[in-house]
Amino acid sequence: MSDSTLPLGPRKIVGKPVPRPKRGPGVQTYLPEIAKGLAITMRHFFRNTKEMALGQRNDPSLEAIEDGVNTVSYPEQRRPYPYRFRGVHRLTHREDGSPRCVACLCCSTACPSQCIYIEAGEYPEGDPRRGYERFPKRFVIDELRCVFCGFCVEACPCDAIRMDTGMHAAPYDSRDQFIYERDLLMGFPGRDGTYTTQNPRHEPGDPTHPGIDRDHPH
Amino acid sequence: MNMDWVEFGLSAAKAFAVVMFAMNVAVLLTWADRRQGAMIQDRVGPNRAVAWIPTKVAQALAVLPALGVAAALPAYVKLRGAELTGSAEVGAALAVSQLAIFWVWMTALVIAGRVARRGVRNSFDAFLAGLGDPRRIFYFGIGAHAVSLALGAYYRGTETGDALTSVGLYGGAAVFAFAVLFGAGYAAYSIRNEPRIGLRLVGLLHPAADGLKTLFKEDFIPPRADRLLHSLAPLIAFFPALVVLAVVPFGDTLCFGVDESGSIQLTELMPVVPATGVCTEGAVPLGVLDLNVGVLYFFALAGTGIVGAALAGWASDNKFSLLGGLRAASQMVSYEVTMGLTLIGAFMIYGTLQVDDMIRWQAENAWGIFVQPFAFVMFFAAAVAESKRIPFDLPEGESEIVAGYFTEYSGMKFAMFFFSEYIAVVTSSALIAAVFLGGWHLPFVNRAGIEIAIGETVFFSQQLPHLLVVLLGVVGFVGKTILLCWLQLTIRWTLPRFRYDQLMKLGWRKLLPASLVNILATGLLVLLVQNADPRVEKALGTAGDLTMALVAIAGLFAFVRLVLFLLEPTTKRRLLATSTAQFAAAMGGTPTSRMQA
Repeated sequence: MSDSTLPLGPRKIVGKPVPRPKRGPGVQTYLPEIAKGLAITMRHFFRNTKEMALGQRNDPSLEAIEDGVNTVSYPEQRRPYPYRFRGVHRLTHREDGSPRCVACLCCSTACPSQCIYIEAGEYPEGDPRRGYERFPKRFVIDELRCVFCGFCVEACPCDAIRMDTGMHAAPYDSRDQFIYERDLLMGFPGRDGTYTTQNPRHEPGDPTHPGIDRDHPH
Repeated sequence: MNMDWVEFGLSAAKAFAVVMFAMNVAVLLTWADRRQGAMIQDRVGPNRAVAWIPTKVAQALAVLPALGVAAALPAYVKLRGAELTGSAEVGAALAVSQLAIFWVWMTALVIAGRVARRGVRNSFDAFLAGLGDPRRIFYFGIGAHAVSLALGAYYRGTETGDALTSVGLYGGAAVFAFAVLFGAGYAAYSIRNEPRIGLRLVGLLHPAADGLKTLFKEDFIPPRADRLLHSLAPLIAFFPALVVLAVVPFGDTLCFGVDESGSIQLTELMPVVPATGVCTEGAVPLGVLDLNVGVLYFFALAGTGIVGAALAGWASDNKFSLLGGLRAASQMVSYEVTMGLTLIGAFMIYGTLQVDDMIRWQAENAWGIFVQPFAFVMFFAAAVAESKRIPFDLPEGESEIVAGYFTEYSGMKFAMFFFSEYIAVVTSSALIAAVFLGGWHLPFVNRAGIEIAIGETVFFSQQLPHLLVVLLGVVGFVGKTILLCWLQLTIRWTLPRFRYDQLMKLGWRKLLPASLVNILATGLLVLLVQNADPRVEKALGTAGDLTMALVAIAGLFAFVRLVLFLLEPTTKRRLLATSTAQFAAAMGGTPTSRMQA
């Protein structure tokens, strides 16, 4: 008990006297301060009314550092999402328009919310890709289950799934409308407007192919 | 009192006009309050609703009135121009030529503004854009006004002057007609390729929707409340707020001719009336009531509003309501005292209680704000407190007592309390405008026309038609009232709420003694002036004219400043630090699309 070490009786109050602030007639009557406040209010009123009426209001994405009305009038006006925004998924295309996906199930395995369902299919007999890779017969993402963590994109070994569409899922009115099938996912372009990616893909038979194929295993 | 049917009809029409004025301005104030709040807080505000007009209809709306106006003025000048002689002709030429000049530069400015925003599309656009800064058009217009006025004044009375008068009258009418038609035609032409024209209602539908909503909402009365008093209270609060404007005239007295029996002939409006005095026969004052107790009627009825608030608090069976009612009653009683006492100084100077005569005194001498400046400030503060609005909204302080005396009200009864507050803003603004800002009087405009004179020196004098003078006065009164309403709204958006003891201290220990001192000082001054040399009185008259000049110059300056402010080009700094901004810049700005639904 630290209190027992203190002497009994009223303690000496240690404090610094703070003088009352000087209140001149300007403060006492309150009128000059009212005038100042009104001036600020009116400045905002006139400037914003003028800019709204003459169509000069700030662009909320470009001129947001300026004073004035910076509100985004959503949904009439939409700020673009930032570059790293993880939006709706897309399945990237190969040069021939087929999906890059080889149905390896890495993404559905990595998915923490288990919202990806892949049904793998074999290429037909005689197809040069047969035996090396498969293709997704069905590729389904439940966008309502998805937590937009981006693990599927990280897990993908062939850059086949991306979240760079810059879109958010549209607000539908029933749950089954959020089930995105393969063709829909392949129908979204990336932000640059293309369906492919910049990463090269070397098909068996291409001159750039590293050379390991069924006839030359080593 | 024998009142014939004409007078009865006129009184009914005036009463209707005053009530409609108060209610409509109050509705507009509820809108302006929201709109202004948004603008002050840098928000967009209610801006969604758009009325879509088919392009053809929009074009017709632009062109048809323009055709009407463009046809009417030249036709009037052509028909009546020959009848006008002497001073009346000069006056008409002055009005028409200034109107024409104004319309030309205004049209050019509006089109130049459009061009600056949407780019050059045709050769006329290119011509306007070639003029450079749109402010040059404004300077040119101001210059044209000044030059035409100077020329008219210089050549007045000479043969050149007569020629200039004809040029001003006929040429002005032609130029005006052309400018109106050109502006409307240009607008119609430039929208020809639009599929439809959207008219932003900027939240104007909101008050209408609110009115409808309150009509259909449940009318709740607490089970243990006093049903009769609970229903009566909103009426008692609403009714006085509406009828107090009866004693405030909204325009100068109109003079009509009379027939043999002495009854008014409404078709025989006097063309021109003398500068001083009011016609004894055939006078139609533009106020509902011409009571000799004047302002006392205003205070008596405004005081009745207290009963409404107190009753509402008492009858609601709710402790918050009761507290609110108590606060409202004591606050309104306190400030009623100050309101009355601050005006006594004004009564002593004007020597009358009738608002009409007060305005006449101000027209002849100086506006009340110059003879009673302290009374103006105190009366304004007391009037804001009387309407129970921020910063004096203790009776409904939502952080302390829910909603005060109207906690237990819903639907239209709540709306009546809400609405009576806004009507109180309008009526108090109208009274302040009448008692301190000269009511319907405009500087240098008397009953005969315009006369710019300081002391004995007359700089400019021009007769104007009686109807035009009265109409100018009505517009001036409405303008002053709306300006004061706007000032009250601005105060509401600026000041924080007082504490209740501060409110009472301000009322009883500051405003009340100050108003008593004001009475004493005014009395001494009035005595001094009455016993002073005639030269002092003359000097005071000149000083009064100088205040008029001050008001006129301030008004002109404010107008010029406003136009220049609107024309000021805006430069905005862009910041492309984020990828969002870079994407937006690549798209040419944040993408905006019209609402689909």
